[in-house]
Amino acid sequence: MKSKKMLVVLISVLVLASLVLSACQSKSTANDPSVIVIGTTDKIASLDAADAYSTHDWEVIENVSNGLVAWKPGTTDLEPALATDLGTVSDDGLVYTFTLKDGIKFGDGTELTATLYAQQLNRLLTIGPSCPNDVADALAVPYIKSIEAPDAKTIVFTLTTPIAYFRNILATSPFVATNPKTFPTDQCVLYPKAPIYGTGPWYVSQFNADEQMVLEPNPYYTGNYKPQVKKIIYRFYSDANTLALAVQSGEVDIAWRMLSTDQISELEKVSGLKIGTIPGGSIRFLTLNLTMAPTDDPNVRKAIAYSIDRNEIADTVFGGKVSPLYSMVPPGFLGAEDTFDTMYASPNLDEARKALEASGYSADKPLELDLWYPPEHYGASTAAWMQIIQKQLEATGEMKVTLQAQEWSTYISALTQGKSYPAAVEGWFFDYPDPSNYLDPFTYNGGMGNNLTAAVKGSTTGTPTNDTVAQLVEVLQKADVELDDTARVAEYKQAQEMAADLAGNIPLFFEAEHVIYRDSISGNANFNSPETLNIGGNVFFNYSMLTKTVSGK
Amino acid sequence: MPPITLLAIIIGVPSILLLAYVFIRGTTGLRRYILTRIVLTVPMVFILGSLVFFIMRVLPGDPVSSALGPKGTPEMIQQIRTQLGLNDPMIVQYGRFLGQMVTLKFGNSLVGGHRPIIDEMSERFPATLELIIPASILALVVGIYGGTLAASRRKKATDYAFRIYAVVIYSVPIFWLGLILQLFFGVKLGWLPISGRIDPIIGTTLQTHTNLYFIDSLITGNWSALGSVVLHLILPTITLGLIQSGLFVRITRANVIETLQADYIAAARARGIREKVLIYGHALKNAMIPVITLIGLQVAILLAGAVLTETVFSWPGMGSYLVERISARDYTAVQSVITVFAMLVALISLAVDVIYSLVDPRVRY
Repeated sequence: MKSKKMLVVLISVLVLASLVLSACQSKSTANDPSVIVIGTTDKIASLDAADAYSTHDWEVIENVSNGLVAWKPGTTDLEPALATDLGTVSDDGLVYTFTLKDGIKFGDGTELTATLYAQQLNRLLTIGPSCPNDVADALAVPYIKSIEAPDAKTIVFTLTTPIAYFRNILATSPFVATNPKTFPTDQCVLYPKAPIYGTGPWYVSQFNADEQMVLEPNPYYTGNYKPQVKKIIYRFYSDANTLALAVQSGEVDIAWRMLSTDQISELEKVSGLKIGTIPGGSIRFLTLNLTMAPTDDPNVRKAIAYSIDRNEIADTVFGGKVSPLYSMVPPGFLGAEDTFDTMYASPNLDEARKALEASGYSADKPLELDLWYPPEHYGASTAAWMQIIQKQLEATGEMKVTLQAQEWSTYISALTQGKSYPAAVEGWFFDYPDPSNYLDPFTYNGGMGNNLTAAVKGSTTGTPTNDTVAQLVEVLQKADVELDDTARVAEYKQAQEMAADLAGNIPLFFEAEHVIYRDSISGNANFNSPETLNIGGNVFFNYSMLTKTVSGK
Repeated sequence: MPPITLLAIIIGVPSILLLAYVFIRGTTGLRRYILTRIVLTVPMVFILGSLVFFIMRVLPGDPVSSALGPKGTPEMIQQIRTQLGLNDPMIVQYGRFLGQMVTLKFGNSLVGGHRPIIDEMSERFPATLELIIPASILALVVGIYGGTLAASRRKKATDYAFRIYAVVIYSVPIFWLGLILQLFFGVKLGWLPISGRIDPIIGTTLQTHTNLYFIDSLITGNWSALGSVVLHLILPTITLGLIQSGLFVRITRANVIETLQADYIAAARARGIREKVLIYGHALKNAMIPVITLIGLQVAILLAGAVLTETVFSWPGMGSYLVERISARDYTAVQSVITVFAMLVALISLAVDVIYSLVDPRVRY
């Protein structure tokens, strides 16, 4: 009995002592200027560059490894990374040649040669299409015929067709150099065991997919962006509210993706926190199906375009935290034009009624429209702004709108097949910062639900639904291969005007990204936008830009 | 040794020893009873697993479309579905599932990293266990002590206070209680951590063997990790434990009151036995039998509560895993988790019955 009591006392003392020790240590580590903790609600789906296809996966991959070219921190301007320059392109636009810099090594000391790099890049063309997230079929297979290394320093890409924005594609995550010891040529390795070494400034020293990832400086990194702290800890949260509280309480130094606008508004009032607003490329729009009644009628689509008041959505639901969008190409991207504003100047209910009446609708015989949306995937406020759109459409007096909610996994499959929803809401975030990435996917091969074209297996564009779409496809294809920026701007202007006239997609608003950080954290003042921790229009977070200052240290 | 194996040994060996002890010491009737319970567990788990298998497939939605989002072309979706075996005939998929259930291999997840589910569960399950054990202890201590105290002071202020407490705490939504505790103790006072299982920085120093961080920090002698683990456990444990305690207060109170009215208590009181001994030594012991039954039944509710608690506190356990995978239509993961939960509930029910037999000799003989 006595020994039992002793045991209880001993364990209690041990736990109490640990608590005190931990509390003390916690305080000191929270103030440790050499460690930065970043919280996120994103999850890692894959760390294999030949497979990964999500924003957060790409961010980690691009901090761990480099490609031939990369975007300058805080900008969408390209600069050489592993290559000595931005490479050369043949006159026919089909062959890109790059020279590797000297002395590039992976974090484990393995030397990177052009032969090794080409061998690893070829994973995209060989095993890539069979990997689960299948980035290869989106960004490599349609464009690239071959990747070769004629010598130890030179890498040559031969394309299937000239692509104006190919260097932008090369700057994306699938084209970074991967370590053959971690990523063999015959296998996709989505969750490699740490340590994971690349050629970038960091390597992954610990990785627990459900809790946290630890990054430490790559000892062999010779590039321009050397880490300023000893550790970055990425902490994964399952709930955005908890993440908001964590940054407020100081458990994390930075909250990065994905807090709601309400949570950001609340955090703005908290002392000790700073909020960086990045003019992101995340857009929301309505998809109107050209082959389903009633939106197969151009007058109906135009009436919808005339009825939308984007400012009301932005102000009422988001408190001005999102911006009205008047083209599928958001402002700041090459050739972006507010064509919907010019063409429809909405809300213009008189014109909306005229369009509806031209198709035989009236107050007595209103248009009946089912408008679909996923209640959770685009944020908790989706229902609120869908109700505003419903109200705006019904304000014509000649439309009766029924909102239909469907959970995401069912919704997205039904929407992109283009057979279920006449009108639905959709969102998009670019793969590479180029207008083609905002126009091509919503025109070619089914247009992701609007059926501007009918999808055809093996075809880049699919079959246009009508002559106007055929003209739009022609202009877009021309812009895709146009190497002269001035000419591309003119072509995209024309394409946006045609897309607005077709009204297969009605742009609604675009969302800025927000990074919330404690005032001990700073970006790099020598680069663009230190106030957003140098996260620029490409929404790439370069951890080497970060420093942490703790008073007295 | 993989953490899940080590964990299975830590939990399984004492359980088997206890079962063996009761089996050997018990009567033929008890032996038959235990054997029947074990045998019945098999069809129960099979039926539940099969139900989940078919329900998941009847539900609209598809794991591949969900994961790829608008970027998934129909060709990409079909190609990946074929690779994952989702285009196989239903009977083939069902056969594969049954095979996985029998071998407890469960296959690979359909989303995320497509890792073996056994690996994912070996990371997640210990987290849930680490949460529900102290929460159950808290619920039992508060519930039994509170219920007994209320019964012993029937119709007095203490009794009314505990009765109100029991009703209020049981009706409070878990996420609300969790949020309030986070705001007060985590944000306002800054005393306690509000998320995760361990401090991010201390966590980098912890070597895991069982993935039960409390045990891992003890066996590696990492005291700062131990302290951090305990600190991180406090708020989720209080949230989950207090909610559960309400029911125990009510059931204990009712049973102790009933027992206190028994003749043998009156006789004991007449013999001058102290009131404290009477209540805690005689009445409570006899009132415990329905409480023990309730413990078995509460396991399923506790696991359901853990789903919400884990979400609120970003606690990487089985509950939050289940929620994530249901949303993503990850059939294999959901089937596997439900199967494991079913087995867990069945085994705990069995354990409760065995304990029942130890507490109440009438069952044994």
